[in-house]
Amino acid sequence: MAVPNEDNMSAQLSSHFFGDLLDSIIADVASECHRIVRLGLDRNLEEEEEELKLSAQARVRVADSSNGGEANGKYVVDIFGQTHPSVASEIFDCMNCGRSIMAGRFAPHLEKCMGKGRKARLKVTRSSTAAQNRHSRGSPASTYSPYSSSTSTNRLSNGTSSVAGEEYSNGTFEEP
Amino acid sequence: MLGYWLIESGEKERLMELLRERLIECGWRDEMKALCRSFTKKKGRENVTVDDLVQVITPKGRASVPDSVKAELLQRIRSFLASAAL
Repeated sequence: MAVPNEDNMSAQLSSHFFGDLLDSIIADVASECHRIVRLGLDRNLEEEEEELKLSAQARVRVADSSNGGEANGKYVVDIFGQTHPSVASEIFDCMNCGRSIMAGRFAPHLEKCMGKGRKARLKVTRSSTAAQNRHSRGSPASTYSPYSSSTSTNRLSNGTSSVAGEEYSNGTFEEP
Repeated sequence: MLGYWLIESGEKERLMELLRERLIECGWRDEMKALCRSFTKKKGRENVTVDDLVQVITPKGRASVPDSVKAELLQRIRSFLASAAL
């Protein structure tokens, strides 16, 4: 009978085509993973995902506790009878990278933002890194008295008691 | 010859889209990506080639397609073949 033969052939063909489709998709996935690995995108992706997840979790915790939090057993009452959320909830912008961060997650964020990234270390900003500017020799951003940017040899060569006196009274000495 | 017809009619594209969607839904794609990542950690970022990854994924990938997905696709292919043969 023709029907079983046709069925057989049709089944074989179908499997064959299915295998084709699957192979194409496998090649797609492999090529995409290869690209991500070679471009180093997975590292950035994972860090960002983790950070987003953690800040989302923190936000959920805050929202929960502000809604009454009966399930939350960590409700602490201070001497004035006030309760504080377990995670500081204020949202502001990080002055280093410009992202909006929850206050409770700011410390870990700073670790990643200032610690690991090469770009973070190279960036020099005025506000909170003014101390760093003072220590760096010959930095043009330093607006303190010109004596502070001079090298120690300069000071020695000046040598006059009046100059030394001025320096001390200015109190701009940064030497440890 | 029939394969040519499959492509020409646009059916192959539709089938591939359908299969891709199903495999993403059921988490197959994420499994494959995880396999790639663990292989990469072992072999080292710089030494991984596309061929490597294809070889890594293929056996597990073919075996772990959910039965329902496979059945659905096979059904569609068979009905397409039947309609094309007429």
